[in-house]
Amino acid sequence: MRQIECAFESEVVMAVVQSRWPDRADAELREHVKTCEICADVAAVAGAIECALEESAACVAFPGTLPDSGLVWWKAQMRARREAVAAAGRPITAVHLAAFACAVGLLGACIGATSSWFQGALKWAWAGITGIDIKAIVPYVAALIEGHGLLIACMVAMVFVVPVAVYLAIGRD
Amino acid sequence: MTYSDVSRAKAIADAEAVFVMDEEAFRGFYDRNARGVWAYLSRVTGDRQLADDLLQETFYRFLRAASVAPTDRDRFDSEAHRRNSLYRIATNLAKDARRRSFTRPAASVAGDDVEHLADCGRGGGDHGTDIDRRTDVRRAMFQLRPRDRAMLWLAYAEGASHDEIAGVIGVQPSSMKLLLFRARRRMAKLLGREDGGAK
Repeated sequence: MRQIECAFESEVVMAVVQSRWPDRADAELREHVKTCEICADVAAVAGAIECALEESAACVAFPGTLPDSGLVWWKAQMRARREAVAAAGRPITAVHLAAFACAVGLLGACIGATSSWFQGALKWAWAGITGIDIKAIVPYVAALIEGHGLLIACMVAMVFVVPVAVYLAIGRD
Repeated sequence: MTYSDVSRAKAIADAEAVFVMDEEAFRGFYDRNARGVWAYLSRVTGDRQLADDLLQETFYRFLRAASVAPTDRDRFDSEAHRRNSLYRIATNLAKDARRRSFTRPAASVAGDDVEHLADCGRGGGDHGTDIDRRTDVRRAMFQLRPRDRAMLWLAYAEGASHDEIAGVIGVQPSSMKLLLFRARRRMAKLLGREDGGAK
């Protein structure tokens, strides 16, 4: 089984963090790192991260890079208030929508009960729906599938495969 | 005054008390941690402007997260837990941002960042050598997977323990040693260390 840790890792990290690596580090530790792959990786990576950290510290030291804590607090409060007001408004909006739907339903019922042309149109639409012969449609559908089966299969596959592919692409890592 | 007005007024009053941390405590916490979180976000996302945006969002969500879990309030009394929570939020935000812009190639991000080097790197010492080294480090980091970047940064820049890193990036603590070993191996290779045997 491959070794994935070494007892000297923390010593190497300390030497790098304290800027003792490699010149001012213990000679024994330097000799160990020469022969230990894990510690050599640790020295290289910790040194690189330390370098990146110094660079980031230099970036942050520029005035105006980071917003003032008071400003962040004030913005957070404003946003919390806005969100609280929006959340409080949502049930009222839902009640308004329900009331509107009831009113439309009531109006529709009144028109349906009193208007002769509306009742005539309703009877005509119902007769159309009940007049459809499903057995007569089946041969047409079968012919369509037979003629364009591959195309239909591709379309169905796209409907299922594309969302899965997009999900996997986005969800990777 | 209508019912809506009363409801709004109550919501605003509730929002006043929504953060468990008061302003003074927050300002201290922010001053202690904002630099580290910004550095972490800028390295993980590879985009300084995005890091600026995500920094504010991170602290806002931290304040809200702390407020919506009253049973966990004792947990938040510890600075270490607060920091871990902050970095966990930052990690999730960076992940979401990456998902939103998954078509953007990582190389261009690294390229953008290189341009900022001259602005950030001015200081004492051997400027040319520093820039070369920093450019190499940056390139190596941006060729890593974001999770590897996050793990290595937390381990070596923030000095986080394996358990803390596991909590922040959302993996089992038992698998941290192996994941960290692999990430370190990849980074070392990218930095030019040969595979097998110490240099």
